[in-house]
Amino acid sequence: MTKKRGRLDVIRDILQVIKQNRKIKPTRLLYASNLSPQMFKDYVDELIKKGFIKVELEEENKKYFSLTARGNNFVNEYKVIENFIENFGL
Amino acid sequence: MLEYIIQNKEIIKLIYGLAIVTICIAIVLKTDRLFRLSYHQGIRYFRNALFFYGISFIFRYFLLQSELFNSTFLSYDLSKFLFEFFIIMAGFFLLYSLLWKNFESEDPYPSSLFNKHLMIFYAMTIVILLLDYIWAGYYFMFISQIALFLAASIVSFNNYSNKGSERKFTKFYFIAMLLSLSAWTLNAVSALYLNWNIFAIIAVYMFNIILFIILLYGVFNVTRKQ
Repeated sequence: MTKKRGRLDVIRDILQVIKQNRKIKPTRLLYASNLSPQMFKDYVDELIKKGFIKVELEEENKKYFSLTARGNNFVNEYKVIENFIENFGL
Repeated sequence: MLEYIIQNKEIIKLIYGLAIVTICIAIVLKTDRLFRLSYHQGIRYFRNALFFYGISFIFRYFLLQSELFNSTFLSYDLSKFLFEFFIIMAGFFLLYSLLWKNFESEDPYPSSLFNKHLMIFYAMTIVILLLDYIWAGYYFMFISQIALFLAASIVSFNNYSNKGSERKFTKFYFIAMLLSLSAWTLNAVSALYLNWNIFAIIAVYMFNIILFIILLYGVFNVTRKQ
């Protein structure tokens, strides 16, 4: 049985997918994130609010998500954060 | 050696306090950065614990000053109240950083200083402060901190047994909690039965310094980029 992903793992996965694609459409990100539509919306709203991702509108008003500098930092430092949490039992 | 320590005990106390405040500042700055990246509640409470420890040691300095010179920036009672308040709350924050997942969801509260779970700790701290004020001592602070670090030792031992093979620092964190438990126990024994015996107090200082160095080492070593 696979272990349920924690909140930080879900955020890491979403940001990782965006980083790999540089910019991605919401529907593709929803499939890749493996979340229910409602949970996906909650996470995306939170990530936008916290400045980890931004919404870009391109031709024909198509919506794309891309990483901000802060989101990029999080992906790069995720291992460090995870290591800290696990070692201190937080 | 003992004579030297007795002659310079005020300077030693000052250096001890300054060392701990400096370590706390370094840990708070480092963990605040990690919290702002991750918004992880455990990191947030751990950061708060060290922030409160730092503040408590600043008030401890004022307390020592008011004991010695009878009048300083803050009165004895106010210094004692603030020192006790911050050190007890720091202990609660440290324990809660290990237990928060059992009581909260992973969505962070807007504030890590005022939320419904922490209100219980504030209320308990105020009760402890009042009891110590009525009995004119530190008895209830000692009892609360011994109980708290006993619980923290058990939780951190559990973390060490579950993750010790892959996460090396869990062992040191458990040792740090045991050191703190020993320091508080020795502090209580020296206050209640040994009339603040100088050797017991030096041992408490040593335990505390080692404990904070372990935490500092852990924070900087574990967060070092591979």
